[in-house]
Amino acid sequence: MPEIELRIVSLRKTFHPGLFERPVEVLRGLDLEVFKGEIFGFLGPNGAGKTTTIKAVTGLVIPDSGEITIGGLPHDAMAAKRRIGFMAENPYLYQHLSGREYLRFSADLLEVAPSEIDDRVAAVLDQVSMGGRGDQTMRTYSKGMLQRIALAQALLGSPQLLILDEPMSGLDPIGRRDVRDLILEQHERGVTVFFSSHIIPDVETICDRVATVIGGRVHGVGAVRDLLAREVESYEITFTGLDPSALRTPVESAHRGSDAAWVRVAADRRDDVIRELAEAGARMMSLTPVRSTLEDLLMSLYEEGGAS
Amino acid sequence: MRAIRVIALSTLREALRDKILYLFLGFAVLLLASSKLFGILTVGDQTKIIKDMGLAGIQLFLMLIAVMMSVLLISREIDSRTVYYILAKPVRRWQFLVGKYVGLLATVLVNLVLMSAILVVLVWLYGGGVDPRLLIATAMIGVEMAVLVAFATLFSVLTKPILGSIFTLSVFVVGHVSQDLWLLTRHLPESVGRTVVSALYYVVPNLERFNLKTEVVHGLPIPPEAIVWALVYGIFFTILVLTLACLRFGTRDLQ
Amino acid sequence: MTRNLPTVLAVVLLLIGAVVSENALQEVPREDPLGRRLLYLPSAEMLRLGSLGNPGLVADLVYLWSIQYYSQYRPYERFLYLETVYNLITDLDPLYHDAYRVGALIMQLPTTDEAIHKAAVIRLFDKALRNMPDNHEIAEAAGWDLFIRYRDRAEGIRFFEAATAIPGAPHRLHRFLTRWREEEGAWSVDDAIDYWREVREEARDEFDRLVCDRQIYRLVASRDGELLDPLLSRWQAVNGRCPASWRELVDAGLLGETPLDYFGQPYRIEPETCSAEALDAVRLE
Repeated sequence: MPEIELRIVSLRKTFHPGLFERPVEVLRGLDLEVFKGEIFGFLGPNGAGKTTTIKAVTGLVIPDSGEITIGGLPHDAMAAKRRIGFMAENPYLYQHLSGREYLRFSADLLEVAPSEIDDRVAAVLDQVSMGGRGDQTMRTYSKGMLQRIALAQALLGSPQLLILDEPMSGLDPIGRRDVRDLILEQHERGVTVFFSSHIIPDVETICDRVATVIGGRVHGVGAVRDLLAREVESYEITFTGLDPSALRTPVESAHRGSDAAWVRVAADRRDDVIRELAEAGARMMSLTPVRSTLEDLLMSLYEEGGAS
Repeated sequence: MRAIRVIALSTLREALRDKILYLFLGFAVLLLASSKLFGILTVGDQTKIIKDMGLAGIQLFLMLIAVMMSVLLISREIDSRTVYYILAKPVRRWQFLVGKYVGLLATVLVNLVLMSAILVVLVWLYGGGVDPRLLIATAMIGVEMAVLVAFATLFSVLTKPILGSIFTLSVFVVGHVSQDLWLLTRHLPESVGRTVVSALYYVVPNLERFNLKTEVVHGLPIPPEAIVWALVYGIFFTILVLTLACLRFGTRDLQ
Repeated sequence: MTRNLPTVLAVVLLLIGAVVSENALQEVPREDPLGRRLLYLPSAEMLRLGSLGNPGLVADLVYLWSIQYYSQYRPYERFLYLETVYNLITDLDPLYHDAYRVGALIMQLPTTDEAIHKAAVIRLFDKALRNMPDNHEIAEAAGWDLFIRYRDRAEGIRFFEAATAIPGAPHRLHRFLTRWREEEGAWSVDDAIDYWREVREEARDEFDRLVCDRQIYRLVASRDGELLDPLLSRWQAVNGRCPASWRELVDAGLLGETPLDYFGQPYRIEPETCSAEALDAVRLE
């Protein structure tokens, strides 16, 4: 049994927005265990309670009941907080400071020895590729740059547990790749990474394990491959030289572009379509197997959640 | 302690970058211009008017900082969620709030020192001599502001910025007339209203206790006990209100 | 810039319109606006509450306003509410020295109601003394105002008595008080001499002492003159001429010895009027 870095036991939270508004039950007994050293993905549709869970772990929201331990310590102990590096969903940073000033401020709060602050700040700025822009005020930063600074402040305290809320949302492909590389790099150093995301391919490619959360409860936990169907369910075929409507074989969906046409067919009808294309003298461009993805999984979970 | 210091310094820096010192410049210009004007208009001792004007101006400008800036800076931190990154670090919630408080008070005091210096110099320029007792009066205004900023801190964690400012302003106003309200109740028949007003008198600080302006302007003796007890009163009230603020903030969900 | 020209022009035009209408409003006659405005002066208590701990500043502002207001010429309503206004100022700041003095000064401007205004001046100064019992300057100012403006020595004496009772009052007040009391006939010459001697004891410098000496000298001389002149007349009646020296009176048994003045000099006998004359007014000047 691997060592547990983060344990959440039957976490409950109901928000009371106001006198005349209905209370919202966001977490309904959420349980979770994150092992030391793994990359753990936290998936769920909006409103499922991902952010509230993360806020409860970082002490921003006070749960009604339940227990959270970090490295075996109660999560609100200062020793537990020293283990965490946290990045929120949107980079909420001081507009009036430069990136470097903000990181120096963060380092001070993280109790970095005063003599080491400068070196430490310079190091993380390089780590997030912001070394050259560190002295501009953050008012002038793009969203991606702010995200990098937010990530930098999470890395500043050399955390054992990195908690990232939607770390890749709103980033361009290069930024997304950089964040992914950073997560992997931290992983190699033995850091536990716990992150929520909507961007399925990233979760698929880098997570060791994934939890799906629906309606304030964890629905399923496991390795990514366990949660996905092994079988290929359908194929996507692109071709030229034939109108898709001319196909006799029933297709799941079809589309005709200016150059080529595209259809999706069930796995057992693949060969029928290929044969028909050959008979019509059409030219097949590509054939892609379609697996059930996390996205489909989430969709189905959401429908279940919505139905219940 | 380090967390409080770091947050206080950061708050002070934010206030200064928010051009809060323009208020001080405004004060200086206002005081200079009005003393010049009053010099033309008045008959008799100009320095008396400059002292009245200066002390009232210091009080008013600092009150503005306390009411507007304090609520604004704390609410901004919570509303713009920069507080997330602070509280996710090894910083306790009360340390954050006390750090904010200290930073805001430091902002007020920086202004207080500059404004007091201007006033002393101006009185000296107008032939009133160097009057060190002016500094006693301004120091007591500082104590008053310490109490007021504590209230601003409390209201900024209790409610929205605009309401917080209005409540803090109300404390300032009621705090200056509470003594009279209390005296008024002595003339009322025994009733619920009288009990309520009496209760209000003890809940809202009597800010007139920090008012030594008349004594200073007219050169009257100030009993040392009046200063000592006012200090004790101010410190107790400040800690009380800050404690309430910390208790509230300690159980608040940040969304 | 040129694109914004119409906007700028419009703003300027609007501003001009506002200025013109304000000027037009000024020209429209209104019924007794200022006298009425004064009626709405709030009470000192309300102003003090409203000042949030700065009644001194509000007093300053009303004071400044009153100076501007009362220094404009207005035919009949000139002194409307004068006493009310200065009572308001001095209620707000009971130690406002200048306000008492300037208020009294404005009340003293010539009007048709001299007696009413004089009574108001006295009330204002009495209030000043009640509020500042240690301030001899205001008492002195009151004394002078009453004496010089209204020729009311009795009130002058009353305020000077108050002033001299205050420690640190300048010495001259004692002197004037004594003079006025004498002139008022309230005192016998002996009272006056005794008082001047007391005053001399308290004199702080050579000049004050010299002034006292001169007064004592004058009083002593006039008192001695009242004693000596009948003796000279008697001697003259017997001998048919004025005595050439005091020796002749001593020889006649009318005097025990040659009478000396306050400074120890013998009095001179003025032959023409045949009276005792003091020498030293000249010497002292």
